[in-house]
Amino acid sequence: MSTVGGFVPLPISYSSSAIHYIYARAHEGSKKATKQLWPVGRTLFLANLPPDVTERELSLFFKPHGTVERSAFSEDALEKEALEESDVDSESDEEGDMEAEGASAEGEATQPKKRRRLNKPKPPQPPQVIPLPLKPLRTLRHTGQTAHVVFLDSSSLERALVPPTKPRPWPTSDEPSGLAHYLTLYDSLRPPLDAVRAYADSAMELYEFEVAKAKQKSKYRKGEAIVDEDGFTLVTRGGAYGQTVGGGVAVASKKFQRTGETSSRNRKKKESKEKTEFYAFQKAEKQRNDLMKLKQNWEETKAKVEKLKASRRFKPY
Amino acid sequence: MAANLKRKRGQEDDPRKTRKLSPPFDSDEENNVALDGTDEDDGEDDNPPDGDDEEWGGIELTGVTEGGHISKGKPKKPPTGVEVREMKEAADLFRSTSFKLQIDELLPNVRPKEKYKPPLEQFLLSLHTFILNVPSSPPIHPLEAARPLLKKGISIPYPIPLPTEDSNWKVAFAPPSNITLVGSWGNKTSVKGMDGNKFGVDVAVEMPDSLLQEKDYLNGRFFHKRSFYLAKLAEAICDKKHGLNVDCSYHSLSDNPRLTKLILEPRPGVTKNDFSKLKAQVCIIPVLSPSSPISLQRLSPSHSNVRSSEETRVPTPLYNTALLTSLTPSSHLISTHALQQEAPALSDALTLLRIWTNQRGYCEGSTPVIRGFEGKGPWWVSILRVLILGEETGKSKQKPLGRGLSSYQLFKAVIDFLATHDFQAQPVFVKTEGGDKYPMEEYSSYHEAVFVDASSRVNLLADVPLGSLDLLRYDAKETLQILSSSSSSFDPFTEAFLRDRRHLSTRFDAIIRVDLSTSKPRQSSLHSTIDHGSPHNALLASMSTLLRQGLGNRTKAVTILHPSSTSRPLSQAHPSNDHIIFLGFIYDREHAFRQVDRGPAADDPNPSHAASFKELWGDKAELRMFKDGRIVESVVWDIKNADDKVHLPVQVTRYILERHFGIEDAQSWYSSFDSLLRLPQEISKMYLESGIAVGFKGALMAFDGLVKGIKALDDDLPLSILNISPVSSYLRYTSTFSPVPLPSKLLPSTPSNASYLHAIPIIMQFEKSAKWPDDLKAIQTVKLAFFEHIAGSLMKSISGLSASVMVGGCGGEDDDPTMEILTVEGWAFSVRIWHDRELTLLERVINTTSGHIAPQPGQNKKKGNGYHNAVAAKELYLRRFIHAPRHHRAISRLHHVFPAFTSTVRLVKRWFAAHWLLDGHVSEEAVELICAFFFVKAGWEREHEQTGSSGGGNVPGSKERGFSMVMEFLQSWKWEEGLALPLYEEGKEEPVQDSKISGEGVWAIRTEMDKTGRVWTWKGPDAIVARRVQALAKATWTHLKSVERGTENIHPMFNHPTGDYDFVVRLDPTVLPRYHQNIRPDLSLLSRRQGKYSNLQSEDADKATVVRPGYDPAQALIRDLKKIYADTFKIFYDPYGGDSFGGVWDATLVKEPRPFRVMGGFSSAPQTVKGEKSKKEKNKTRDLVVLNQAAVLGEIERLGRGIVKSITTRS
Repeated sequence: MSTVGGFVPLPISYSSSAIHYIYARAHEGSKKATKQLWPVGRTLFLANLPPDVTERELSLFFKPHGTVERSAFSEDALEKEALEESDVDSESDEEGDMEAEGASAEGEATQPKKRRRLNKPKPPQPPQVIPLPLKPLRTLRHTGQTAHVVFLDSSSLERALVPPTKPRPWPTSDEPSGLAHYLTLYDSLRPPLDAVRAYADSAMELYEFEVAKAKQKSKYRKGEAIVDEDGFTLVTRGGAYGQTVGGGVAVASKKFQRTGETSSRNRKKKESKEKTEFYAFQKAEKQRNDLMKLKQNWEETKAKVEKLKASRRFKPY
Repeated sequence: MAANLKRKRGQEDDPRKTRKLSPPFDSDEENNVALDGTDEDDGEDDNPPDGDDEEWGGIELTGVTEGGHISKGKPKKPPTGVEVREMKEAADLFRSTSFKLQIDELLPNVRPKEKYKPPLEQFLLSLHTFILNVPSSPPIHPLEAARPLLKKGISIPYPIPLPTEDSNWKVAFAPPSNITLVGSWGNKTSVKGMDGNKFGVDVAVEMPDSLLQEKDYLNGRFFHKRSFYLAKLAEAICDKKHGLNVDCSYHSLSDNPRLTKLILEPRPGVTKNDFSKLKAQVCIIPVLSPSSPISLQRLSPSHSNVRSSEETRVPTPLYNTALLTSLTPSSHLISTHALQQEAPALSDALTLLRIWTNQRGYCEGSTPVIRGFEGKGPWWVSILRVLILGEETGKSKQKPLGRGLSSYQLFKAVIDFLATHDFQAQPVFVKTEGGDKYPMEEYSSYHEAVFVDASSRVNLLADVPLGSLDLLRYDAKETLQILSSSSSSFDPFTEAFLRDRRHLSTRFDAIIRVDLSTSKPRQSSLHSTIDHGSPHNALLASMSTLLRQGLGNRTKAVTILHPSSTSRPLSQAHPSNDHIIFLGFIYDREHAFRQVDRGPAADDPNPSHAASFKELWGDKAELRMFKDGRIVESVVWDIKNADDKVHLPVQVTRYILERHFGIEDAQSWYSSFDSLLRLPQEISKMYLESGIAVGFKGALMAFDGLVKGIKALDDDLPLSILNISPVSSYLRYTSTFSPVPLPSKLLPSTPSNASYLHAIPIIMQFEKSAKWPDDLKAIQTVKLAFFEHIAGSLMKSISGLSASVMVGGCGGEDDDPTMEILTVEGWAFSVRIWHDRELTLLERVINTTSGHIAPQPGQNKKKGNGYHNAVAAKELYLRRFIHAPRHHRAISRLHHVFPAFTSTVRLVKRWFAAHWLLDGHVSEEAVELICAFFFVKAGWEREHEQTGSSGGGNVPGSKERGFSMVMEFLQSWKWEEGLALPLYEEGKEEPVQDSKISGEGVWAIRTEMDKTGRVWTWKGPDAIVARRVQALAKATWTHLKSVERGTENIHPMFNHPTGDYDFVVRLDPTVLPRYHQNIRPDLSLLSRRQGKYSNLQSEDADKATVVRPGYDPAQALIRDLKKIYADTFKIFYDPYGGDSFGGVWDATLVKEPRPFRVMGGFSSAPQTVKGEKSKKEKNKTRDLVVLNQAAVLGEIERLGRGIVKSITTRS
């Protein structure tokens, strides 16, 4: 069977009449990415997976071709990445800072500084969150999702990519599905109270730790300008007078600039001092304008009624 | 230049001012109008160059000083004087400019077309000469006269009492002494009839005086002579030899044989004088000449003119009226014409009035019409006359109207008069210029309602039942309210003139269909039959009187409706009466549901009072002592449940019909509507037996108890509780089913597919505190901690109560945790915490992610789609914590003011659910708002506070009527125009800031608190579903209309057609915990002891020992499918235990194959390529895939394993 857009369709039989297709392709590392998430050569990229697939089912399905080391769904990966990225960012910032400092220091051989750094007590470990007890459950994802499957060796990948001759049945893992799934999910969402307490307490501890850390780390102070390495000063908007934000040079919010109002509440508009009916020509003008407006309204209404007439509205019965 | 201009303006200013000061339209100087107009015109034309100059300067100046208000597209010429006058008039004399223009458009449509008139005029001319030349026939005995005519197929319509062999008088024919065109055609005020009824061209044929004798008023002699005259005319006209080419038939107004007339219609296919295009018919009415020998003095209401041997001298007011009517046509013609001259707008006003009455069934038509208004043309004119000329007595509060009023002003004055006048209590006598009259008191003592015309002595309301007048008053009141309302939620013009308001189901709170063929009146008096002219009319008259008496102030109007009289062939002497009539009721909400009717006291000095009370009620009447010590004759009605109470007026009516008319099968479709909102009997019996508090009362009690319980914990909590507000339809009387708890003692006996327990959402608000963390995620955690704490303490303080914390987070968008509480009595509540800081935080996320600000700590987790998440979360927050409690308060307030409101909502919700739309596409709140639209009118709250009831307007008094009104509305709603309703009291609450809600919903339901109107309709229905709603409503509406044809079964309206779905998934009813709410449950599946599953019983019993509030796997499955296949298909389901759901593929997906994409967003299969050539082509471009329908259905089956029974696809 031919390929579809460079993918090998792997037919799976759901029942005698329903055949589902998974599209498979060898994973190619992207050139831009600095770090390869997936080892090229033994990673299979899959598209259009069933919505209720589990990792276990994936490895069961590919078992005839070889052992699956790990697999990951793109939807989850995105979230995870986002999480990790932010963590990585903050960490790499630190590291980068250190490295930069280190590099600059190296040339001048300032050993003591480095040592002092090393001697510093280790930063406190973030408290661990005690997770809520969740039973193994299927995650139902959007239809047509993608995933990466990493085999132990590259030969399995080749075997997996050989177009199969006939559809294979879909394996099932132990996670409940259907009615049982919903029953388990229902119970799982209502954990025992002590578990909730443990989770909440530990999560709050973590939050407080993070807040404290952020406070320590933050180099931005109110009223101090943030100047980046190119010498640009960060300008931020906020509040009426630009005072509600923490870092950067503040300017007033756009709304304040536009309206001059600090709050969203409507104030009574000041009456204009200028008299409108002082000169005779003003009066005449006003009268004329009123008449013109009258005529305009008249014409408009006429047009509207004309339009209604076109829709045969005036045949009452 | 400027100075120059100024001076010129100064000159110009003066005449203008004077013009303004003079009234634009002085009624007395009607004739000067044209002159005035030209005057002004001249003034403008005198100095055209000046005008031009001015104009240019003007535009320049205004452009500078006023910031360019005038756009270039505006007409630059100032309006001429005539135009100004016209515009001013339109604005001042009519409701609005557009109202006037619309009236101008409307009027020509209901008037006869000029271009079709000539053939008719020719015909009338030839008819005139023809009739004058009909040969006379000698006097002959009435019965003998009938024989030769009968041979020609013409029977003489002799009314009762019929002439006998020993009648000593004779009938004869001679050419009429005068022939005149009378009635609306003569006055040129004809208005098109309903349902294609033809214009009536009334021709009054004056019987020569020589044919009549002085004593002809006795025993129907005049009517017999008239009948013979008519039959003779018919004979002559029908004769084919004479070539008039018309078909003749008899027609009796209101089926009264005494008012028979001859109808002439052009014979089809004949060209000469064919006036069929005009849609008119010529009516020949024999009349008396003013000089006839019949003595008028003998025709006053108190005289007895039909004398039979058994009864002596009982007055025959209706007989007398019928006779007098023969004198009126020409005098009406003349006086109307005079009035037209006096008040130029009269014709237009009359036309408007006739349109208004026609649209409301006070006319002839093919649907049931209101009794008593056939041929009442003279009356409508007379109302205008009395308003313009004033009353004879002069004691009227109203001043006579000015003659120069506009048509709209006259119309409104009539409506105002009809809305306020009680013709029974205040007889009306139109002012006349002298002339002898009958004493006024005589009318009042022999007629129910009195309206005596100026030009004659006829009481025009003699044969109009009071119930019909009550309805007329009610309708007029409603219209008056519409016309004076300034609300923009409806178009007053459409409401008043364009909408057909005759439909029984939207008009009456209750309708009863009565078959008269089996009726046996308890007291049938020969005399009343003779007075009314036919037994049928006498029966209806006594029915109207008795019902009105029996129902008393329970109803605002009880009206008899029947098909309008039809013309009959000449061979049929008497009208045939339709045996089916309808009784329509409009409830007075304050009194309608009273359980006890009190009669006269036991010590009433007049024993006849008690006797008549007993006569009315029969065995039901009994002496009772009341709490206040009075002993009174009374009737007590049995009420078994709340539903019975709502139908009390119907029950009373049935009783009266049965007692007085022997009618036992009066049909109304009320109980079947009730059963739609009830649980099956098996289940409700169980609750009844257990004796626990159920229903809304029970739920509210449980809620109050819970609030008390939580508030008692106050010392235990770190923050005190500010507020606990209900936000559920279960606590505001609008849930489809009346709420029931599921106490543990009932659990074992409850079948598992009836074990659904709704968790009633409530919202808890803590006092403000600075201790809350400043991070969204942390707030959720704190909420969890709070819940855990409250749950623990609650369980400790109230034994038997169980509480658990439900963590959110399973479904992305909504990670707000809730606490579920199961009270001792078995009610379930789900509590959320409202923390107002969340909104600020969300707004910060929204503002900052679009700007350049450095993210706050803790928020950096949401990047990319963080903005969209925050927007969605904000919408959810506003809806859940701001709008929902407010909506709840408003709706529950309505319940107390309008008892029928909540049951209407429940019924409409059931309808939406039965058609697989509720929840999924139409939110409950949207339904509530749509229903509320028919109850709340501007200022309802003020009215309610002042009078204790808001009875005005067209507010439904029963759920059936409410339901019909909603259906009528939905089938024709142009949703792009939206709906606006004044739900909230003005100025009491601040509206929330407008949020830009983006969603697919197309309905806009605006309230004061929601200017965009999308809060409850943002996610649906989208345009496709909205059209579907419309189609379904149309079908339902058609069915409702068939009530008029006697359909009784209401179930077709709730049967959902599944043919349009691409696939329908059937679910296993044994695992659906809400199956008992299904619209047509299979009762055998709802009983526990079922043979089929007896082997599983032990297992079932284990499972069922735990109450799972809100557990509904079918719903969960559907929710998941919706999310998974959001772009693949649309899903439709019935949330109330629906045992199947349907899906419709996304049209763009199934239309044609698409090129393959990795993130296609749908389950695809490679397209099987046909033919080599195409394969090559396609390979070159791109590989195509198609939607893999079978696989998707396979997945649905797998995801719903255990729930899904089978899937059927459309072939």
